[in-house]
Amino acid sequence: MDAEDLRLVEAFRRGEESAFTALVIKYREGVYRVARRMLGSHEDAADAAQEVFIRAYRALHRFDGRSRVYTWLYRITVNLCLDARGRLARIPVADDEDAAHNLPGGPLLEAETENREVARLVAIAVGALPLRQRAMVVLRLYQDLPYSDIARIMGCSQGTVKATMFTALRKLRRALIAHGVEAP
Amino acid sequence: MERLVEGATGVIPPSDRVPVLEHLAACPKCRHEAAALEDTVAHLRTAGEFGTPPGFWAEFMGTLDRRLAEERLPLLVRMRRALATPRYAWGTAVATLVTVLALSTAIWQGPQQTTETDPLASSARGLVTESMATTLPSLGEMIDVWRAGLSALPDPFGNGAEYRP
Repeated sequence: MDAEDLRLVEAFRRGEESAFTALVIKYREGVYRVARRMLGSHEDAADAAQEVFIRAYRALHRFDGRSRVYTWLYRITVNLCLDARGRLARIPVADDEDAAHNLPGGPLLEAETENREVARLVAIAVGALPLRQRAMVVLRLYQDLPYSDIARIMGCSQGTVKATMFTALRKLRRALIAHGVEAP
Repeated sequence: MERLVEGATGVIPPSDRVPVLEHLAACPKCRHEAAALEDTVAHLRTAGEFGTPPGFWAEFMGTLDRRLAEERLPLLVRMRRALATPRYAWGTAVATLVTVLALSTAIWQGPQQTTETDPLASSARGLVTESMATTLPSLGEMIDVWRAGLSALPDPFGNGAEYRP
């Protein structure tokens, strides 16, 4: 485990509440981004991120340190999003045009407009993936986690993660081609 | 297939790079698949990151602090507050109503009347055989006392009155 995280966890166990705040500040963006990609809306992602840290607060005393803190937090996040998305399965994932709007600012050049459109289509294609495939794509491509960590988070083997990624990437490619997105 | 995914997502181990490249050079099908995967990954990675509205993290931390303060309260206080929230209010109201109705019914009807059973008619009577009654003469007396209750005992102090324990 990361030495700084270990120090913070031990400080929290000694009763220093500020150590937990430090962990939240360190990992809140990652947790929020995973939730945002999984759930598709800012409000749902913000609620999920709150819930992740509440659950982490309750369980941090029992955290055994066998995994890294961020792996543990992402596992809570993914499980929570899988549950939440399961409940909201009938509601389609939002188009989430924010992804397009959050590209670097400046005058709207033609290429930039096209990038925003591609970003919107990518968000739709990722949102259409089955939940577990989506989780793996998000953790690998957006959070840049190694396959070993993703396997631990998803509770399966690395081989399963890679096979699922292969299937997901082929689906995404078909979806992007169907939307007329060309090779970058 | 695993190597293609690793290559496309940028985590192929250095020791495997040369054999994979050699295979790709010789296999047009895998080369085509690898190129398609790399294109898709490139699209996904350049698709822009989600931003948050201005002031979001300050609001987030404020809400989290309030919720964590709630977590630190004693369990009974937390339960009372949780039951008072709109989410559980209807459930609490229904549970309270059912409890009140059940208690009222129980008080209204009073304790259930029990029918007295004759000890001699009980199944235990069949176990007392004739030989037992002969061998233990006091057994019959005991059964009589049992049947009549303690009030049938003679006054142990000799006052002539019935014994009342």
